[in-house]
Amino acid sequence: MTQPLSGRRVLVVEDESLVAMLLETILEDMDCIPVGPASNIDDGEALARDTENLDAALLDVNVAGRQVFPVAEVLKARGVPFVFSTGYGEGGLPEEWRGQPTIQKPFTEAAIRDALMKAMGVAQA
Amino acid sequence: MNDTTQSSDLTVNLGAAFEASPNPYLLLTPDLRIAEFNQAYVDVTGARRSEVIGQLLFAAFDSGPGTEAPENVRQVRASLEKARDTRQRDHLAVVRYSMPKTLPDGSEAFVERIWSATHTPILNDAGEVVLLLQHTMDVTDLSPNIQPDEPTTALDAIIGGSVLRRAQSVQEDNRRLETERNRLVEMFMQAPGFVAILSGPEHRFQMHNDAYSQLIGHRDIAGKSLRDALPELEGQGFYEFLDEVFATGEPYEGRESVAQLQRTPDGPLETVYLNFIYQPIRDGAGAVVGIFVQGHEITDNVLAAQRQKLMIDELNHRVKNTLATVQSIAIQTARSNTDPAGFAETFQSRIMALSHTHNLLTQSHWEGADLRAILEHETEAYGHTRISLNGPPVSLEPAIVLSLGMIFHELATNAAKYGALHTPEGRILIDWALADQRAPKLKLSWREMGGPKVTAPDRRGFGSRLIERNIRHDLAGEIDLVYAPDGLIAELTVPLDRTASR
Repeated sequence: MTQPLSGRRVLVVEDESLVAMLLETILEDMDCIPVGPASNIDDGEALARDTENLDAALLDVNVAGRQVFPVAEVLKARGVPFVFSTGYGEGGLPEEWRGQPTIQKPFTEAAIRDALMKAMGVAQA
Repeated sequence: MNDTTQSSDLTVNLGAAFEASPNPYLLLTPDLRIAEFNQAYVDVTGARRSEVIGQLLFAAFDSGPGTEAPENVRQVRASLEKARDTRQRDHLAVVRYSMPKTLPDGSEAFVERIWSATHTPILNDAGEVVLLLQHTMDVTDLSPNIQPDEPTTALDAIIGGSVLRRAQSVQEDNRRLETERNRLVEMFMQAPGFVAILSGPEHRFQMHNDAYSQLIGHRDIAGKSLRDALPELEGQGFYEFLDEVFATGEPYEGRESVAQLQRTPDGPLETVYLNFIYQPIRDGAGAVVGIFVQGHEITDNVLAAQRQKLMIDELNHRVKNTLATVQSIAIQTARSNTDPAGFAETFQSRIMALSHTHNLLTQSHWEGADLRAILEHETEAYGHTRISLNGPPVSLEPAIVLSLGMIFHELATNAAKYGALHTPEGRILIDWALADQRAPKLKLSWREMGGPKVTAPDRRGFGSRLIERNIRHDLAGEIDLVYAPDGLIAELTVPLDRTASR
C-alpha cells in the first residue's frame, strides 16, 4: 500500500514523552519524518519558525500548563498546515481556532492520517 | 381641652359645645386613660364621673364577664392604638361591647350592646398626639336582625339589619385583612429571598426585607431613590432595566445576573450572582406606580458550578492523556515483545508501576511525593537488603513524580532481567543530593554491582528509550547510562524548579 504522506516532515509538539513517542511511532509507520518533538511552547515556536521544508504539524493544545496557540500562529503565518490534538475535543478550542482539524486522545493511526490529509489538502488515495 | 385650643373664650365655647352635643364623646390620653367625656356619653354608658376620670379605659369598662369580652376589648384597643400610632382617624364600624345596667328589679347585670365608634387623634403644634377622641354610637336598636333572625320586612332589612350587617361584615373583613396583611408583612420580612418594593419613577425604597439588607451590606436605604441608595450599580444595567419596567409595565427577569455590590462600608466591590424578577406594581387605574423586586443570591451555586466544570474539564484532560499514555505503552511494548505472554507480563508491570505512582500521589492529594518513597515503591519487591537508599528528603511535584516512577520502574525491571537483581548476590546503591540552591537540581546515581558481567545492548529497547526521553523531554534533565562491566551506572540530573527550566 502506498503511503499518501510518505516523506512529509511533521512537527510534533507534545509535553508527555510517552505520548510523543507514540506519535513518532505512528508517523514513522506512515512513512513521515517526525520533527521534534518539542516538549514546551518555546521550543515549539522555535522549531515551527526555523525548520526548513516543514510540511505539517501535530500540536497538543495543553503543553505543560500553557496553550499551544502561539505555535499555531507561527505556522499559520508560514502557511504550514497543522492539526490540534487534545483531550477536550473540538469544543475545547477557542472560537478563532474552531474548524481546524482536530484529533482526540487516545489516537488511531487512521484518525491522525485523515486529519493530516485534511489539513494539508491531500486527496484520499 | 386646654391643650388643644389657645383662646380661653374658645375653650369655654368649645367646652360647652362638647358638653351639649347629642353625640357621645370620650377623650382619652395617649396611654388610654379617661380624660373627659360629655353628658351624652353618660346617658349612653351610665358612667359616673367621679369613678372613672383618670382611670384606664379598659379598667373602667371591661365589657363584663362574657366569653367574648376579651375579644371586644382587643378590637377597641387595637382601633385606638392604630389611631394613636398612625395619627390617622380609625373607624370601628361595628363592635360588641357589654355595659353594666341596673335592671328593673334593682340588680346590676352586663348587657351586650352593639356600637359603632370613630377614634380621632388630636395633635398639638408639634404634630404629637395629645388626646384621642372617641365618638361612640349605640346602634343596638338599629339592628334588630343582627342576631341571626330573619328581617321582618324588606324595609327593615334595608334601613336596619342589612345595612348594619353589611357594616359588620365590612368590619370583619377589615379585621381579617389586617391580620392577613400583618402576616404577609411578617412573611415578607423573614423571607429567605430578598424582597423590596420600589415606588415611583426614581425607584424609591418603600420597603425591603432582611435578606435585601444583607445583600447590600445593611445600608440605610429607606425612602432613598435607587441611584442614591446603591450608587455602585451605575453602569451595570440595573437602573436601565428598572426604568424600562416602569416605562413599559413589562416584568424583567434576571438569571445568573452578575452584580458588583458594596457589602461593607468602604469595602471593595464584591461580585454576586443573582436570580431575580422586577414585577411592575399598578394602581387601580392600571398605571405603573412601582416595582416589586424579588429574588435570591446564587453566588455560591454559580461558583460551585464553575469549579465543577473546571474539574470535569481537567479530569477529562487527564483521563484522555492517561489513555494515550497507556496506548503508547501498549503499542511500544508490543513492538519489543513478540510473544503474547512476554507482552502481557511487561505491559502489565508497566501499567502497575503507573498505577502505584498514582497511588502515591493520591495519598498526598496530588500535591507531590518524597523521592525516597518513590524509590522504595519501585524496588520493594526485591528486598530491602539489596537496595541501599542514601540521600536527604526531597519533595517532588506530581509531574516529576510520575516521570521518575516510570524511570525507576524501567531501571529496576532491567536490573531484574539483565543486571544486579538477576543474581542473589547483586546489589544496587542509590545515592542522591540536591545541588545549586538558586536553581535546585536533583543529582542521583544508580549503581549496580554483583550482577552478571555487563555488556552494552546491541539495540536500545523501549525501556531505555523511555528512560532517556522521559528525562530529557518531560523533565528537561540529563541522563548518562554507562554499561560498566561490573554493573550499570545511571547518573541523573533533574532540575526541580520546572518553571525556570522551561
